Amino acid sequence: MYQFTQQSLPACKPVLTPTSVISTLFLMGIFCIPIGLLSLHASLSVVEIVERYDSECVPHQFRLNKVAYIKDSLIPKNCSRYLKVPKYMKAPIYIYYQLDNYYQNHRRYVKSRSDKQLRYGLQYNDTRSCIPEESNDGLPIVPCGLISWSLFNDTHSFFRGTDELRINRKNIAWKSDRDHKFGKHVFPFNFQNGTLIGGAMLDPNVPLSDQEDLIVWMRTAALPSFRKLYGKIEEDLEANDVISIYLLNNYNTYSFGGRKKLVLSTASWLGGRNNFLGMAYIAIGSCLIVLALVFILLHVKNPRPYGDAMYVSWNWKGIPN
Amino acid sequence: MVKASGKRKQRIKWSKLYTFSCLNPRTTDNDAPNQQLLGQPGFSRVVFCNQPELHKIKPHKYPSNYVSTTKYNFMTFLPRALFEQFRRVANLYFLLGAALSIPKLAPFSPESMITPLVFVVGISMLKEAIEDWSRFLQDMDVNSRKVKVHSRNGYFVEKTWKELSVGDVVKNSDIEHRRIPASGKEPTIKGFNFRDDRLMDKMWIHGSNVHDMIMFFRVMALCHTGIPVEDGNSKRLKYEAESPEEITFLIAAQEFGFKFCQRTQSVMFLQELEPSSGIEVKREYKLLNLLEFNSARKRMSVIVSNEAGEIFLFCKGADNIIFDRLADNGRIYQQATTAHLSNYAEDGLRTMLFAYKKIEVVEYESWNTLFTKAKATVGTEREELLEHASEMIEKDLFLLGAVAVEDKLQKGVPQCIDKLAQAGLKLWLLTGDKRETAMNIGFACSLLRHDMKQFHLVLSKEAESSHQLKAVEEDILSQIRNSYQEIVKGNKKDAPSALIVDGKAMEVALRSEISNQFLQLAVMCDSVICCRVSPKQKALIARLVKEYTGKTTLAIGDGANDVGMIQEADIGVGISGMEGMQAVMASDFSLPQFYFLERLLIVHGHWCYKRISKMILYFIYKNVAFGLTLFYNEIYSNFSGDDLYDDWYMVLFNVLLTSLPVIALGVLEQDVSADVCLQFPALYQQGQRNICFSWKRIFGWILNATLSSVAIFTVTIYILSPAALRQDGKVADLAHIGTIMYTCVIWIVNCQIALIVTHFTWITHVLIWGSILCWYIFLVLYGMLLPEHSQGGFHILIEAIGTAPMYWIVTFLVVVVTLLPYFIFSIIQRSFYPMDDQVIQEIKYGRTDVSNKPMWLREQQNSRKRTQIGFSARVDAKIRHLKERLHRTKK
Repeated sequence: MYQFTQQSLPACKPVLTPTSVISTLFLMGIFCIPIGLLSLHASLSVVEIVERYDSECVPHQFRLNKVAYIKDSLIPKNCSRYLKVPKYMKAPIYIYYQLDNYYQNHRRYVKSRSDKQLRYGLQYNDTRSCIPEESNDGLPIVPCGLISWSLFNDTHSFFRGTDELRINRKNIAWKSDRDHKFGKHVFPFNFQNGTLIGGAMLDPNVPLSDQEDLIVWMRTAALPSFRKLYGKIEEDLEANDVISIYLLNNYNTYSFGGRKKLVLSTASWLGGRNNFLGMAYIAIGSCLIVLALVFILLHVKNPRPYGDAMYVSWNWKGIPN
Repeated sequence: MVKASGKRKQRIKWSKLYTFSCLNPRTTDNDAPNQQLLGQPGFSRVVFCNQPELHKIKPHKYPSNYVSTTKYNFMTFLPRALFEQFRRVANLYFLLGAALSIPKLAPFSPESMITPLVFVVGISMLKEAIEDWSRFLQDMDVNSRKVKVHSRNGYFVEKTWKELSVGDVVKNSDIEHRRIPASGKEPTIKGFNFRDDRLMDKMWIHGSNVHDMIMFFRVMALCHTGIPVEDGNSKRLKYEAESPEEITFLIAAQEFGFKFCQRTQSVMFLQELEPSSGIEVKREYKLLNLLEFNSARKRMSVIVSNEAGEIFLFCKGADNIIFDRLADNGRIYQQATTAHLSNYAEDGLRTMLFAYKKIEVVEYESWNTLFTKAKATVGTEREELLEHASEMIEKDLFLLGAVAVEDKLQKGVPQCIDKLAQAGLKLWLLTGDKRETAMNIGFACSLLRHDMKQFHLVLSKEAESSHQLKAVEEDILSQIRNSYQEIVKGNKKDAPSALIVDGKAMEVALRSEISNQFLQLAVMCDSVICCRVSPKQKALIARLVKEYTGKTTLAIGDGANDVGMIQEADIGVGISGMEGMQAVMASDFSLPQFYFLERLLIVHGHWCYKRISKMILYFIYKNVAFGLTLFYNEIYSNFSGDDLYDDWYMVLFNVLLTSLPVIALGVLEQDVSADVCLQFPALYQQGQRNICFSWKRIFGWILNATLSSVAIFTVTIYILSPAALRQDGKVADLAHIGTIMYTCVIWIVNCQIALIVTHFTWITHVLIWGSILCWYIFLVLYGMLLPEHSQGGFHILIEAIGTAPMYWIVTFLVVVVTLLPYFIFSIIQRSFYPMDDQVIQEIKYGRTDVSNKPMWLREQQNSRKRTQIGFSARVDAKIRHLKERLHRTKK
């Protein structure tokens, strides 16, 4: 305490010397580049297939008025796409749907849910946050709010040749969500019964904790372009395999110019394919080493002797003190 | 600013209480106060001495002596403290913010806005409460001090201070002396700090001029107005006299073997050394006449007769006065004395000459009748007659020699002034003392030197007597103009100048029409000494200097008459323990010794400047870097006002996660250690040049913060979106990306401060790295709450991001990328444009070789600004002078 009040606590005063600076830069650079290489390697080992289908799946005659097409429930929404596997893909292969220009992070949208209702069901009736999707015909809606109302409802099935690929759609949501956020005894009620149908229907006999598509969807994305896990293919795909996808193109992204994509991707220890991380590491690592070299050069060519008194202001020549 | 002015108002109120200045102005306005109004506030009081009971009833009931300086009491604390808090713009702003967060449209939850406000206001109020409590305790202490009060018939009873009432007669036990001559370390006789073995060991008794020596000491021991005081158990005597230097002479004479031991109405007893035998004998001298000292005569004489009936006149006085009155055969020592005088004066000592003459009885008798007659005269011509009589006898003197007295200032004052001058401060001496004393003090603390060009601003006799304001103003104005012309013409570096202003001249010079010219002159001079200034003038000078120069002013003083000046200056410093508490109570800082000012300014002032500027800049940085990420997110969320971070993250940002290292920076940072600050007072000029808090720097930091925020945001979102975050294919959602980005912000903000801090104590380390650790601990704990409370944060670290290698790798990358620009900048700045403190730091801590000790000292030497005041400047001047002389003799 005495030392503290007397401002005389023992202290270390690291002084940036050319040696310490240059070695710091070097070491950091040398540290960063391998991380970059490892990350890049991990990312490159990931095989990713992206297929945009929102416009291709609209029949030609509706291409000019996609909204009319999607809103017309009489028109069948079947669509099939074919993908060629470019490289051997080791199971598990994750299937994502990707939406672009879809502002799931809009403030009004994000808040339009009731976490307590999701967990406790109808016992919990303060669902003002869900307005306008909190009740219909005087009965509460479970799950309420705009997010669940707009649940994604395209479905996909995959065939290799004629064999249907088994898609595991379990465990695509976070475990904590299933166990703690969505009630085991909460069942959908009065859902999508209004005049405006947003998205998917829910099976009223399955508790919310098992409605994994809903759980995944309710995890609002941070950016207007996002992927959501759809399922896993649990067998390897060989290179040049042709995968046929039969999908139901139900979801209306046309009214706001959103795009829909289907993504098949393996995952490394670093997750999906993303070269940016590795490149950034390599770039910054090289940058550090170049800087270290520049500083060595500068130091050799034009050294300021360490602690050289000529640099103190009172020794400046010609500058009046 | 709001607070300062509030404090000032309070201060003024109190100062009025102390100095009763609230009574003064009104009474002058109203020369004949109404009888009924007497005793009312603003008018003179009727006091019945020793009859306090009369003051217990109306109409002469006055307030009790109970002192209360507390701001609050139990009832008023809450409303008043809250009012004080919300008078601050910042708090009001946040209150408004909190109010706006209540309606539904607000992007933040009300808790997240109200909690930090409550926290901050709560802490400030707690501080207020603690401060007020200690003020209360202080009051208790003062109120319960004991004092002896006269009850009746000379009996005194003890009472506490608060029980005193108007009309009480109290016994004052500790009289405070104004300038107690303090001594150095050795010898320990008070008022005496002299070393010369020839004198101390009485070796002079074998010399050739013993007789003159004896007479010299007799003058010292007899020509004064002092009286001896018993000093308990000591064999030595103490003295009381009109002036401190008389006491000094008496003490010195005692040390040299001429002890003045008793004084009766007409006889002075001296215990003096008999040079032939070496033993001490007691002699008595009849005091026949005393010719008093006054500033016009500048001398004092006594006429005494010894046991043998011989009559002597002993005289001491200013050099020019004595030299004019010497006999032709009395000039044996004149040449030597002149040389001594100039040496003494050079050293800032106050000099005086001693002379004597023997008077024949007949001559004395005739003169005495004249003198007695003059003394007995009543009327205007008395002075003149006395003067004439003195002139008759004080002539044909025999010069004995010179004495020099050091005006012993408080310990360390000259050194302190020297350091302050080197630190680039301009010093003004404002004193109520007369001009001679003021100049002596000026010499003693090296504000004045003999080679300085002195400009005196004095009212001329004619102007003074003319009583016409116009004439007086003209007179002063022309003096100012002349001095100004002279300074402008002369080369300033070679001829330092000093301005000495008399109180009366000051009164004119401070008039609004002239004050600008006066200040223009004063600012040009290297030192300014104002003598005979009133307290009001002191305050006025402080204000005018502050306003005219626009510089920061500091006033330091110890007496009640300095209160106005202390309050007026930007920084008021009171010296405690000398003359009561008024100055201390009015001040921002109180110091027990003047020389602590050196440490206060050069060490703590320098540190504080660095700390506060670093702290504010860092604060700007951290909030801009953090806040901008929120704005960038709006671009990606359709400007819907969505927040990327959980409300609680935002609450904790400035409350817990980044606030503590700032405190460590603001409290513990030292660019260089205290002793280095003192060795290089020039470092203080960093503050005067404001190199640490210029607009360039502020914008530089804002730019850095902007770069940081861009780096944090773009790198995070480009890496985390849209591909999977983890090996199990799961992607990051809003909560995950927000948390990861926030982690990066916390790391960067805390690492950035680690790059700013140059002085790492264990507290700094604990607070910086602890803050980062705190974040993870918070995340774990937050994740353990029920999902209703933690929402997106539920199990977030344990389940989702903590187990993803991506999270840690991204954090590291973002930290490196973001801090790199600042790091490179600071390396370049340090390598090619180092600041003074950095070079000194390098010399001090980096160089281990002892061989550079000389260089260390040389730099100390170099750093000394060529000052014109302070003793270093005096030494320089002396060296220059000697060199010139050497040069001349060589030729």
